[in-house]
Amino acid sequence: MVKRMTFKQFLFILPLLVIIAVFSIYPIVSSFVYTVFDYRIYDQQYSSLYVSSSFNPARFYENCDYIVYYLQDEATVVDEAGKAEIQAISNEISAFMAPYQNQTQNQTLSGPEAEKIESFIATIGQRLNTVYNQYPNAEFYHQEDMPILLEDMQKSFIQPNFSGISNYQRLFKDARFWGALGITALFMVVSVSLEFVLGMALALIMNKAIKGIGLVRTTALIPWAIPTAVSALIWMYMYDGQSGVVSNIFAAVQLIPAPETMLSTFWGMVGSSIISDVWKTTPYMALLLLAGLQTIDRGLYESAAIDGSGTVNTFFRITLPLMKPSILVALLFRMLDAFRVYDLLYILTRGSLESLSVYAYKLMIGQGYYGYGSAVVVAMFACVAIIAFVFVKVLGAEVVGNDE
Amino acid sequence: MKKRIPAFILAGFMALSLAACGTTPASTAPPPASQPAALSAAPSGEKVVIKFAAQGDSTPATQAVLDAFNASQDQYTAEWMDMTNDSGAMREQLITSLKAGSADYDVVSLDVVWAGEFAAAGYIDPIDTYMKDAGLSVSQFNAGSMASGKYSAKQYVLPFFPDLGILYFRKDIVSAEDAAKLESGDYTYADLQAMAEQYKGQEGTTDGFVYQSSQYEGLVCNANEFTGNWQDIKGGLEEMKAMTDSANTPADILNYTEGETANSFIKGQSVFSRNWPYQWGSVKAEGTITQEQVGIAPLPNGGSVGGWLLAMNKNSANKEGAWELMKFIATEEGQKIMSTQGGYLPGFNATLEDADVVAGNEMLGMPGFQNAMTTTIARPVSAEYSKVSDALQQAIYKYLSGSADIDTTVTAVEDALKG
Repeated sequence: MVKRMTFKQFLFILPLLVIIAVFSIYPIVSSFVYTVFDYRIYDQQYSSLYVSSSFNPARFYENCDYIVYYLQDEATVVDEAGKAEIQAISNEISAFMAPYQNQTQNQTLSGPEAEKIESFIATIGQRLNTVYNQYPNAEFYHQEDMPILLEDMQKSFIQPNFSGISNYQRLFKDARFWGALGITALFMVVSVSLEFVLGMALALIMNKAIKGIGLVRTTALIPWAIPTAVSALIWMYMYDGQSGVVSNIFAAVQLIPAPETMLSTFWGMVGSSIISDVWKTTPYMALLLLAGLQTIDRGLYESAAIDGSGTVNTFFRITLPLMKPSILVALLFRMLDAFRVYDLLYILTRGSLESLSVYAYKLMIGQGYYGYGSAVVVAMFACVAIIAFVFVKVLGAEVVGNDE
Repeated sequence: MKKRIPAFILAGFMALSLAACGTTPASTAPPPASQPAALSAAPSGEKVVIKFAAQGDSTPATQAVLDAFNASQDQYTAEWMDMTNDSGAMREQLITSLKAGSADYDVVSLDVVWAGEFAAAGYIDPIDTYMKDAGLSVSQFNAGSMASGKYSAKQYVLPFFPDLGILYFRKDIVSAEDAAKLESGDYTYADLQAMAEQYKGQEGTTDGFVYQSSQYEGLVCNANEFTGNWQDIKGGLEEMKAMTDSANTPADILNYTEGETANSFIKGQSVFSRNWPYQWGSVKAEGTITQEQVGIAPLPNGGSVGGWLLAMNKNSANKEGAWELMKFIATEEGQKIMSTQGGYLPGFNATLEDADVVAGNEMLGMPGFQNAMTTTIARPVSAEYSKVSDALQQAIYKYLSGSADIDTTVTAVEDALKG
């Protein structure tokens, strides 16, 4: 029964709502906003979200300054007439650029202002060309630099970088994205399946009322307690192609052709990361399942035993059906977790095995593509949402108990 | 560590006292006349702190340069902001700081391949006018390093120390005839393969040739060398694959970075290794072999240029001071200390001929090394270098690990190089 809240009650939860809005809604919304812009941090023309045209006075000033500065060198290799012309160009540039000194904020220009600057750049370009053409034999220092500076000056004009859905369209054509999605899905399915089977076995053992079970439960949790980054490093040493204990054992029993396979081939890396993940998160799975196991009424097992049900039969007819809610929740949590896998792969395989998170990280931080990288993140978000939807609506997982 | 804490407190005090003085533009203000000349002995309460972001240095050189700078200055004092030795992580740390427009660092050290991106992003300031005022010209510095920091007709960097890929070989194993051939640089990767085959196993070695083939920036450097600066992509990569698959390289060569390479060579496990000049110092410092057993030669198609650069944070509050520090480190005095105390290659050309430097840096006197310096090759220059590099690493690693064929790989590499 959901009761209506009074205004006073609402005031009490208001701070919580504000916190949720600031710390979870806002980042999600801004990620979405990034995806509709061609936002790249390594290019000044794209390094922010520009919805309208603007002008970067600092960049304009810097290039003007450079032309004037380079012209001083050019003046030394021409005759008096040339010197006078170069001086005239310098003076004109100096006068024009003066208002833009020390302006660090981008400005919005009116149409005529922009045209004035455009025509200024064109004029300077022409006048410089004329000078260079006038003295074909002079050994100018910066003849090749000038067009580059003028081009860079053009880039002071910033066009809107709103790009609509083009980042999403790019996703569909990006083979690397689909590859990463495949790896992520494979990793998730295989590792969560293994964890479920092993975790269930572990939970059944931990559920037995035997002496010292507390100790067993505690020690079983140790892998889960180790930070992923640390365990990834430990496994990296154990998979090492020369001295790694695991890789050498696997090679000795002919599981893999040679010890170095584990960390240098695709399937080796998939296998090694799954093993590491299973090792680490099986205890967590077991703990979630154990909680479910303990809610089952002992009486049911006694009745089953009286009715002559065998252990296997009891497990499939009583234990599993009654554990369905906690199994679904455990699987859902682990699948969402596994889908976001990042640190394990980044450390164990040095990022060679690319999950979606690793790919998004490389795009955003490595290459500066915030817009497109955010699109990858949003695609990931969509996948996670689909998984959660399927679990909650189709399979009927109850993540949060309602009083209805 | 002990020195750190007072430095931070001092920095805090200085920031406070600066704030109290109000902001005076550093550009033209001469040192206040009231400032006593002999400040070096007194607590440097009035000096402006210039923060220098650089990786830890296993040699005393970087600290010595900063000490020398501090002793020479009555206006500024340099403080070393220790960065992680993981270059990728350091790059991210710098970008995070610079992107936010912070003035946490005044002078930043950059890997040669980052300079284009940092310049394009507007994080660092061009320095032509500073150079001119100081009477310095581009040609006085290591050409490769300077070129890597020239972007849109402006110079953004000075060399901190240049680096180049070279071949180390075991002089005590390789015959004099072969050694001469190697040092001349007149050999091919096929010759190297044959020699690795021939000499492997002698003097307790287990491997012929070790180099960097893990999926990271080092792979790009090595592929650059195998393919002769991407002139012969197919031939070079096939050569690399043959080397990977042969018994002359360790079975897990595809996981080798500089660390594994140096470790194998200085422990006497390999006959040949491709690495940066620092490995020479490692042999001396922690090797089970001695420097007398080691020879240096150019790589068959030339060595990739690497190394570090100095650049000025665009948002630095003390650009004049930042420039002073950059200039000090990159010119005679600083480079001499770097070279004699750290064994780094000087990036200031005049320092290469300095008698103390030549005497103090054995490598500079070796004919094989001198030849190597004349045949260096650059990695692709691009304002989107990390994208290019990432694509190259992907394509080449797939081929070497056997999950792509040569033709697809060549196409992928060509596409990546086009940007």
